[in-house]
Amino acid sequence: MVRRPPLAHVSLAAVAAALALGPLALLAGAAGAAPGPFQTTRHNAGTPNSSQVTRNASGQIVSYGDKWITYRAPSAALTQLGQALYMENCASCHGTEANGVPAPGTVGAYPNLVGLGPATIDFWIVSGRMPAADPTAVQAPRRQPRLTPRQAEAIAAWINSLLPSYPYIPDPHVKRANVATGMALFALNCAACHTIEGDGDALAYATFAPSLRHIPAYQVAEAIRTGPGNMPRFTGNLSDQQVNDIVAYVTKYIQHPENPGGFGLGQLGPVAEGFVALVIGVGLLALIAYWIGERA
Amino acid sequence: MSDVAGATTTKRARRHGAGRYGRLGQVVNELDDRLGVAKGGRTFLDKIFPDHWSFMLGEIALYSFLVLLVTGVFLTFYYVPSSALVTYHGPYLPLDGQRVTQAYASTVNLSFSVRAGLLMRQMHHWACDIFVGALVVHMARVFFTGAFRKPRELNWTIGVTLLTLAIANGFLGYSLPDDLVSGTGIRIAYSIMLSIPVVGTYLAFFVFGGNFPGTAIIPRFFILHVLIIPLVILGLVGAHLTLLVRQKHTQFPGPGREENNVVGSPMFPVFMAKTTGYLFAVSGVTALLGAFAQINPIWQFGPYDASRISYAVQPDWYMGFLDGALRIFPAWSFMGFGHTIPLEVTIPAVIFPGIVFGLAYAWPALERRVTGDHAIHHLLDRPSWRPKRTAAGVAVLALLSALFVASSTDVIANFFHVSLNTVLWAMRFIVILSPFVAYPITYKICKELQGVHGAGKRKTPNLVIRTDEGEYVAEPTPAYPEDVHDELEPTPVPTYIEQPEPESTAPGVRVVER
Amino acid sequence: MSDESRTPVALAGLRADDPHLEPSARNPHVVEAVIAALLVVGILFVAGFGAAYWVNAKPWILGATLGGGLLFLGLGLIAWGKYLMPRGPFVEERHPLANDETEREALAAVLVDRGASVVKRRPLLGGLLGGGMGIFGIVALFPLLRSLGPLPKGTLFHTDWRKGSYLVDQTGRRIHEGDLAVGSIVTVFPEGTENTDRGQAVDQTVLIRLSNFDFVTQKGRATWGPKGYVAYSKLCTHLGCPVGLYEQQLQLLVCPCHQSMFNVTDGAIPTFGPAPRPLPQLPLYIDAQGYLRAQADYDQPVGPGFWERGRS
Repeated sequence: MVRRPPLAHVSLAAVAAALALGPLALLAGAAGAAPGPFQTTRHNAGTPNSSQVTRNASGQIVSYGDKWITYRAPSAALTQLGQALYMENCASCHGTEANGVPAPGTVGAYPNLVGLGPATIDFWIVSGRMPAADPTAVQAPRRQPRLTPRQAEAIAAWINSLLPSYPYIPDPHVKRANVATGMALFALNCAACHTIEGDGDALAYATFAPSLRHIPAYQVAEAIRTGPGNMPRFTGNLSDQQVNDIVAYVTKYIQHPENPGGFGLGQLGPVAEGFVALVIGVGLLALIAYWIGERA
Repeated sequence: MSDVAGATTTKRARRHGAGRYGRLGQVVNELDDRLGVAKGGRTFLDKIFPDHWSFMLGEIALYSFLVLLVTGVFLTFYYVPSSALVTYHGPYLPLDGQRVTQAYASTVNLSFSVRAGLLMRQMHHWACDIFVGALVVHMARVFFTGAFRKPRELNWTIGVTLLTLAIANGFLGYSLPDDLVSGTGIRIAYSIMLSIPVVGTYLAFFVFGGNFPGTAIIPRFFILHVLIIPLVILGLVGAHLTLLVRQKHTQFPGPGREENNVVGSPMFPVFMAKTTGYLFAVSGVTALLGAFAQINPIWQFGPYDASRISYAVQPDWYMGFLDGALRIFPAWSFMGFGHTIPLEVTIPAVIFPGIVFGLAYAWPALERRVTGDHAIHHLLDRPSWRPKRTAAGVAVLALLSALFVASSTDVIANFFHVSLNTVLWAMRFIVILSPFVAYPITYKICKELQGVHGAGKRKTPNLVIRTDEGEYVAEPTPAYPEDVHDELEPTPVPTYIEQPEPESTAPGVRVVER
Repeated sequence: MSDESRTPVALAGLRADDPHLEPSARNPHVVEAVIAALLVVGILFVAGFGAAYWVNAKPWILGATLGGGLLFLGLGLIAWGKYLMPRGPFVEERHPLANDETEREALAAVLVDRGASVVKRRPLLGGLLGGGMGIFGIVALFPLLRSLGPLPKGTLFHTDWRKGSYLVDQTGRRIHEGDLAVGSIVTVFPEGTENTDRGQAVDQTVLIRLSNFDFVTQKGRATWGPKGYVAYSKLCTHLGCPVGLYEQQLQLLVCPCHQSMFNVTDGAIPTFGPAPRPLPQLPLYIDAQGYLRAQADYDQPVGPGFWERGRS
């Protein structure tokens, strides 16, 4: 969920509620549907720049060849537990083989999970998006996770045991990162959807870019590498060092912005600023004028 | 007082030839000998300012403009208007080592490394938002009370020009830091210029010194922003106030207030005290906003690069209606005869604002023609007395407000968890309908208000009493004590004030006759 | 008042019987005390600002002391004017600004008889003067306007993409066919322009991988999308914002400025919003080393519309 400071809530609500509520309710059903089904297409895991890749004996990528992110395979010891948890929580939609079930009549089909890589499975579970509260929703929002990180890892371990695949669960080393590079890359690759302040916003139809304010570093790395939902995935075009820089910028400056100029106004920009200028600035001064002058 | 002190006073008084009014009186004499200011000065200090609170709204604009001048001068000491690339090194780590323009680097520097620099920058930006806001509110007051009527059409024209210049200069200033958000705004401005038929490409190339972005635009915007437009604004403000003094204030009708007089407080000292205090208050509120509310944190936006973009970028509030118009206008591009007319840009961003401001310029003449009223007016209308004018004004404001809301379709969609496309369609309807809804409602309210006696005055409750016979009787209660005030009939400003004769028995004090 | 020289400004000691000159405060001494308190607080704040500036305090402390000081001083001064100065109301006569008929006639006579007739008597000189001023005005516009920038000429019609241009990312790294997974996006430039203004403003292109097989977005573009790589100009056809927002499941490019939406699978035809034209597509090929290169420049001008842009 998008979290905003209270002041931003007030200003947003006031601006938006005044003119939008009535007609919106009327039209909500009319234009909201997206064109065509939502499909997860994961035929190609992508290869990073060839010079940096390390492959295992069977030819699969195990690392980008540098030291900025450690990729951790889910513990094989958890496979049994993972299978049980999967059958309990996931199988009703994704099938007992984890290979997906077409679900006619719903907005999205339940995708095949085999071969997606542990980071993908882990991300969807630890961010609370899966198991889905409403499988027909256009986009699953971030929620309080129902399963623990260990349980998520267990499920990832079981699915990975069906067809071992990349990427593993990343552990970025943000202390070594260069936040300046991170900011530049963030502006080029991320800000177009998540906004330069990282607050996220509504995108086409009913999709949205979530806020980045309260996301642990490894989940940011997971999202960049796996491209959940409508987010593009960044594989070969970003090195581990670059991903690590972005993660550092997000966890340090997006999540803890330096606001030397006072309250950040929800990092909302000119709409909130205009609201403050008109209501607090001009409004307060008009009140003083009201006190100075006569009313008759 | 001792004898010695008294003797000194007398001696000094004599040396300066002090008359009845002492040293200041002497200054007046010397000035009048050379400039002949006595009569005019006296008339000026006696000028009567109406006491109604709504006459102070224009002063918010005037004083926030003064704040803009002072803080702006401070900023020019540190800002470097150049697109040359430098490597930023400074306390803000995410920018450290990035290649940025000098304009951006110097703005970040003056925010972080110059003492009180950030405060001055934020005050400047807040003062700008308040300046334009106050202009709009003041203009609305003038419009709805009919203060623009003959003989004040020229001052109305100056006022509309001031609003246009203020908006333009606000946009220029917003662009100067060359950050990601403002750079996107300049890009859009360039494309809007391109969209003008026939001359658009030439206009854009001449303004930008070539194709976008070029290196000329920051210095050009700078000189326009800090010198040319402020000078024009200053001159027009001077003309605005001169006309105001020459034509004297309007006033609401009331006891003793007629077409041939002005009732209120004299310039000196009453109004001067109030208005100087108000200048301090305006600066104070601006400084408090600058202290506690962060505005335009360009270090978080990063430097501009034409291939980077942030979602949810919006211009400052006074440009919002243009952004909203551009969002909701359909993709109607005209192509034919070997030419393209990007109507999807030209209509909302060039023709529409042209019509709105043209209407504002033309309104006094239009109203004269429609009503056939060519008389001179010094007494103001209450908005409800002119339902058609009021309704027309509200309709335009409703349209512009709806367009402003339309510039936030994404924010609304995100807040209400509605589809962005739905919101945009809804805003298309809302924008088109808004004036047509606002006009009849306002008209009806005005008509209703005309029928209410004592509208705007506080009502006193009626007591309904059941008598012993079972009859119900309504008894009006007395008025609230503070509502009853004996309003004095206005009197002329006293020409002179009787001073009690100094007691000649006081030690050491003598009246020296000349 | 013992100091006689100060009497002109002092309104104290006036005749008490004129109610207009009385202060409006019912209890002037209390009000005076309150105003004094306001001013003292204001002075303290302003002094605090000086101290805060001296020690280079945080911006909010500077602003709070400065703003508080000005506000309290202002409120005190306003209260002084409102409660302790003559309450009025006073009246001032308003004399008509217009002069009488004779004065107007006189002015008109000067303008017409003395001015216009002089010109009428020498129509040649008058015409030369008027024409000269007009020509001078027009001629003066040339250096004023024309020096401001170059003529557009053909610069809006072409980008720096050429046959064989390598696609490189922002760091100048060439894009290899194995670099992008399906669903990935990267902003690319023709090699050598990635750090130039023109490269960033005009040549910027989005490269998207839609599939593993050659992707045809439109008839006649059979070879343009090798191995699922398609490239579109990143300049929105509405106002030239960078169309950097890609939704991989919806397969839409969205403009972050005004939310135009382009369907990337069918040649970036706009499906929603104010953009009037598809994003131009860059024809690609993969060379023997597996690097992505351009077949040619865009087949139409990129970015927003303009008068000379023609029909395509």
